[in-house]
Amino acid sequence: MSIFFRKDNNIGYIEFDNPDAKVNILTGEVLKRLDAILDEVRERTDLKAVVILSKKKDVFIAGADIKEIEGITEPADAVAKSKFGQDIFNKLEDLSMPTIAVIDGVALGGGCELVLACRWRLATFNEKVRIGLPEVNLGILPGFGGTYRMPRVVGLERAVRLITTCKILSSSEALKFGLVDRLLPQAGLGDSLQRFIEEIPSQRRPALKKKTLQQRFLEDTFLGRYIFFWEARRATRAVAKGFYPAPMKVLDVLEATYGQPREQVLALERKGFSELVLTDVCKNLIKVFYLSEKYKKLSGPDAENVVARNVEKAAVLGAGVMGGGIAQLLSAQGMSVRLKDVNFDAIGKGLKAARKVFDQAVAKKKMNAAEARLRMAQITGTLDYSGFNKVDLVIEAVVENIEIKKKVFLELSRVASPQAILATNTSALSVTEMAQAAREPSRVVGLHFFNPVHRMPLVEIVKTPFTSKETLVTALALVKRLGKTPVIVKDVCGFLVNRVLLGYLNEAGRMLEEGASVTQIDNTITAFGLPMGPFALTDEVGTDVGIKVLHVLHSGLGERFKPVEIFEKVHQAGFLGKKSGKGFYLHGRSRSPNPQVASMIVVKKRRPFSAPEALERMMLLMVNEAARCLEEKVVDEAAAVDVGMIMGTGFPPFRGGLLRYADHLGIDKVVERLSHFEETLSGERFRPCGLLLDLKNKGTNFYAA
Amino acid sequence: MDRIAIIDGIRTPFCKMGTLFNDLSAQDLGTIAARELIERSGVDVKAIDEVIFGNVGQPPDAANISRIIALTAGIPKTTPAFTVHRNCASGLESVATAALKIQGGESLCILAGGTESMSNIPFFLTKELQEIITKLNRAKTVAEKIQAVLALRPRHLTPRIGLNLGLTDPVCGLNMGQTAEVLAKEFGITRQQQDEFALVSHQRAIAARDVLKEEIVPVIPGPKYNKAVEFDNGPRENQTMEALAKLKPIFDKYSGTVTAGNSSQVTDGAVALLVASERRAKDLGLEPLGYLRAFAFAGVEPQRMGIGPAHAIPKVLKKVGLALEQMQVVEINEAFAAQVLAVSRALESPQFAKEFGYEGFTGRIEPHILNVNGGAIALGHPVGASGARLILSTLKQMKRKNLNLGLVSLCVGGGQGAAAVLERS
Repeated sequence: MSIFFRKDNNIGYIEFDNPDAKVNILTGEVLKRLDAILDEVRERTDLKAVVILSKKKDVFIAGADIKEIEGITEPADAVAKSKFGQDIFNKLEDLSMPTIAVIDGVALGGGCELVLACRWRLATFNEKVRIGLPEVNLGILPGFGGTYRMPRVVGLERAVRLITTCKILSSSEALKFGLVDRLLPQAGLGDSLQRFIEEIPSQRRPALKKKTLQQRFLEDTFLGRYIFFWEARRATRAVAKGFYPAPMKVLDVLEATYGQPREQVLALERKGFSELVLTDVCKNLIKVFYLSEKYKKLSGPDAENVVARNVEKAAVLGAGVMGGGIAQLLSAQGMSVRLKDVNFDAIGKGLKAARKVFDQAVAKKKMNAAEARLRMAQITGTLDYSGFNKVDLVIEAVVENIEIKKKVFLELSRVASPQAILATNTSALSVTEMAQAAREPSRVVGLHFFNPVHRMPLVEIVKTPFTSKETLVTALALVKRLGKTPVIVKDVCGFLVNRVLLGYLNEAGRMLEEGASVTQIDNTITAFGLPMGPFALTDEVGTDVGIKVLHVLHSGLGERFKPVEIFEKVHQAGFLGKKSGKGFYLHGRSRSPNPQVASMIVVKKRRPFSAPEALERMMLLMVNEAARCLEEKVVDEAAAVDVGMIMGTGFPPFRGGLLRYADHLGIDKVVERLSHFEETLSGERFRPCGLLLDLKNKGTNFYAA
Repeated sequence: MDRIAIIDGIRTPFCKMGTLFNDLSAQDLGTIAARELIERSGVDVKAIDEVIFGNVGQPPDAANISRIIALTAGIPKTTPAFTVHRNCASGLESVATAALKIQGGESLCILAGGTESMSNIPFFLTKELQEIITKLNRAKTVAEKIQAVLALRPRHLTPRIGLNLGLTDPVCGLNMGQTAEVLAKEFGITRQQQDEFALVSHQRAIAARDVLKEEIVPVIPGPKYNKAVEFDNGPRENQTMEALAKLKPIFDKYSGTVTAGNSSQVTDGAVALLVASERRAKDLGLEPLGYLRAFAFAGVEPQRMGIGPAHAIPKVLKKVGLALEQMQVVEINEAFAAQVLAVSRALESPQFAKEFGYEGFTGRIEPHILNVNGGAIALGHPVGASGARLILSTLKQMKRKNLNLGLVSLCVGGGQGAAAVLERS
């Protein structure tokens, strides 16, 4: 049993305590039991108050059971499931005695909806307290009365913000929002709860936080609400870009039900829920949620008994875009960082980049100014190796040249602490060669961060045949501590993400040489759901970086990566992309295609542009390359590819990931279209790889295999 | 007894007030020096038992600045820290206090130093304005509020400049420059002599640029991080007697001789020194730069504060039983040229020695061993840091020239002198 009722001193306690896991979840079973308890409580006259709390550390209720949501296949089933929860929470809301939720940890989704149905909500000062409705992230809307109660508790404007953007609140924020009534210290919680209960009769239930004049206009007048929803829709559309129906549906429900009686609101909520939960988007988002949860907690293969070493002091070599970004990231997590480069101008640039990220965090109130100053002071510049004898970790981000890198690793073997993990941020070069240059290859590992470092959630951990378990486990722990998602990859040229991505960029370039335009291609890709098209991406990364990686892949993996001419030309013309102001686009106050690029293109064989065909060419080429990666065991499962592509390139989560998308298309179709392109474009690069043919023959797919 | 080892030290460049370090606070500067010293010396931060910095300005947003520097520099939170203030000798005081703590057996290894951001010494409100604001805050009714505001007069808005307040002696009422004028007149030191002294300071500092690099950590000042500051910006390459002669006396317009050119510069900077008992240094595997043999402080009339070294020097020499002639390198902080020259003359005078009972511990300081790499007139005088700089510079110079004995001394606002004897073998 995971939910208990006890009476103590005329107060009823409903305690959630799931014996099978670290968290409480509102499964159908738990809800049923809660329903029974509420029936019992309702009939009792000896209770002064009912307290709802969790016996779990740092968790109140983490949410509804996602597996049950995923299992819904019929609209009627969805409506019934939603109504089941709604009815129970109505019962809770309708109890005659005061109900008090004590939130000492995570109260998300259904857990948040449960506390909303209580008359009083208390939270502790525990910094693990997280309250919010993240349903939209899974492609659904809160289906247990959240859309009914949230606007009534915190006001319409705040409710819209909380539900459509899935904003999760800390306890102090929740107090500010009026979502909780009071904060209590964790120590002596029982006593302060007791005192609170004794005070209840003399206290007036505080109405919502007092509204500002602007809020009153936007929420309480017809015209104001019209303007408010118009603006909310515009803002949501800008983010969801038509790919994600859930936030728009939330707005529809909230607008239609504003001020309506409970049953009408809940009926509309159920209907909205049932419509969303059956969409592919929802199914894919749930799958991606599982993937990201799994990889966020990734542990090394058979390394249960290996303990990660603590990293307190780190050094970064090279204060460029990546080096500066990595230094910032390390120092933000409390590590002191020695930042080495060949001159102080370079170090200054690195410091400036780090400062910018901290300043942004302060501006967004994610960090206070004092902490930002401290973190900045933790990064010190140096031209020599002084201080390296005390570091636990070195990450080199010097120029991408294998000879220089080998020299660096040899030097590091001499100067760095003999325990230090020696990592490279190379995006394509051989980590194994670098390891062999080091005195102890077992301490060498690749940590491939993506640009911009503070925003991109993925880190490829490159394992060489020499990398020790301890090194790998320490690298994994570090990546997780930095708040990033790790994917472990084998040391083959280009690793995973760049290898899959660069063929696609090259294909885009090839289509330019067939007469397509930069905007035609980029628009095709953004319409598919990627955050930017191949050329915008190239400009973002830098054409110099792009061409360099292409060269490495070309020499390491063969002809299919031979850079198309236009990339060489654009790079040679000095159009480096965003950093130089000009690339495939002109980057001024607004972005427009660079006309000089158009004039550089020599159209070899003109083909009429067709967006669906262009999309197929680019996507299937990626699928083929990803399949090769699986075949060569660069990663051990299809999920790793999808996590890598979603986190590393922004591949649209609502499509479920690159290989999930291929599975949706059907392996037969993928192979058939690849073969078609191989023939019609005389492109060997399209020849379906062995694994694809194998899957096809077996009649299976990436995830089923 | 275990000697007091100075293991190593580092300082930021010294930059004139309002220039390159304008955006750095005293705690920022102190942190930079402390961190770099830790990195370069290779000391384990856990081996540091206490942090003691000297600071004069005592920034209102950095109460107990040593603690802030300690925490920001990555020294464990369990390590205590406190700040010392002996005016212009605060940097030396930090080392003296460290020595006493080590000798008393309370600590084995201490991070000492001094820091000052004279660019960031705040302006203060007038007392009247302060009262009006207080009244306004307490006012409950609109009428009371109006009443409070009506008391405001334009003169109430003139700020009181913290730097000027700090440089004025509240007991004798003279500012520091005026005390230098007192000495110049008493000892008959001419304008020409002061300017010549100042010129040498600049020439020596310029000549020593590369030498001084050894003791300096380049600083890339935020928030712009545009350029690294690698050198002190006080020394003037083309300083001439003519240019110095053109300056007007600032503290006594009519009969004065003290000018901005022959006074120390108002400057930002920080110094960090790692101090430990000789045995602890050995245990930690750290090679000391040198040792602090002894230190002494002496009191004088506040209006003659610049003469302080003439008393502190014989006092410290007496303590160790060494003659002034045995000192191979001497640093006397150049608060004012007039004041350093007055000290030299007093020490040369047998009458002076007799009067105060300093016989055997005074004498002539040869100009070629005095402030060999320039002094505060060229390099600047970040008041809380200078004392520590003298120790650092002198020990580095002694190491370079393989000398054994050195003497450092400062005059101290409020009427004191400070001195210390350093040795290497």
